[in-house]
Amino acid sequence: MSKGILTAVLLLIITKAHAQLGIIKMVGHNTSNYSYGVGAYVKGIFTVSQASDLTLELGANAFFLNDGGSGDGTAVVPLKVGYRYSLNGTGMGLYVEPQIGYNIYGVSSVNVDGYTQNLTFHGLVAAAGTGYLFLLGNTPLDLHLHYETIVDHGGSDNYVSLGLSFYLHFGKRDDVQ
Amino acid sequence: MKQLLVASLSIVLLSSCLKQSIADAMLANERSGTQGSGPDVATMSYAVNGTSVTVSVQDPDGQSPTAYQLGCTKMLYPGTTTTFYSLDCLGSGEMSFAFYTDSLAVGNYSYIANYGDMYFATYNGTAEYVHAPADSLSFNITSYTKGHISGNFSGKLTPVATAGYPTNTYGAPGSVLITKGTFKDVPVFY
Repeated sequence: MSKGILTAVLLLIITKAHAQLGIIKMVGHNTSNYSYGVGAYVKGIFTVSQASDLTLELGANAFFLNDGGSGDGTAVVPLKVGYRYSLNGTGMGLYVEPQIGYNIYGVSSVNVDGYTQNLTFHGLVAAAGTGYLFLLGNTPLDLHLHYETIVDHGGSDNYVSLGLSFYLHFGKRDDVQ
Repeated sequence: MKQLLVASLSIVLLSSCLKQSIADAMLANERSGTQGSGPDVATMSYAVNGTSVTVSVQDPDGQSPTAYQLGCTKMLYPGTTTTFYSLDCLGSGEMSFAFYTDSLAVGNYSYIANYGDMYFATYNGTAEYVHAPADSLSFNITSYTKGHISGNFSGKLTPVATAGYPTNTYGAPGSVLITKGTFKDVPVFY
């Protein structure tokens, strides 16, 4: 019941939503066998001023692993809140966005002594991103670069994502000045 | 603005301090047991038609992964790509159980007669099988922590009267009752 109320409140205050597909790459120690992955997210945006937004993002990322096993790789589903700040104060152009959250579900399928072993985890998520918001005709676009890390069991999965996304307006930025 | 940049850079720097991936860290934790402070003893006990059998192994993590008295190891089913975990206990008798999964986890695992005849135990020199229609053996893993499993088990088996090829001759169906089965801190080898 309380979750339903919370969801309804969030929907009421969210003024925009992103949706995108991007390309991502696992980085860090022992990740050379990972090929490029794919990621998708939906992001709710609550505009708090002309220059800044609070964001709520649910993503799903998959990384493919070439370790001699069959169908090996890592998949994660992070849920994050963030603060997006546009550097020129207009809500468009270059921005920075730190985020923090929780990995709802993660699994790594790895080859262990010739066998595929599935290792499930959750973990704390932290991310730092930058991007450029602009209009192409009347279509608002967001070209962005994110570095994200999930920390659990004394290790971390780190990845970089590059994406071009579009977003849907549910209200005008000027309305919430 | 400066705070945002500091926060973003801090995230990058702090995450890079961790020198292994989550999967590598989890595998390392499993392989090291409790990371140098593993259990002092692993035990399995059960009753065969009311007669107790108990096996205790000191320093269970120190056993050879390929020749242990009480342990569990991942194996490849002959002639297939199917994997399973074999739990084996050698003492005054023998108890074995196969967990048919590619990733061992807490839960209930059962073997019933419909799956076909299968050896599970030896007691007083007699091999005991799941054979008769009402036979079964169930293992319940109640915890799987840092590379060690604990749980309980029970079942009903049929003794072999005469071992022979291609088929055995069996004794009284379902006449071997396995009760009060427990296992604790059994190491899982990879």
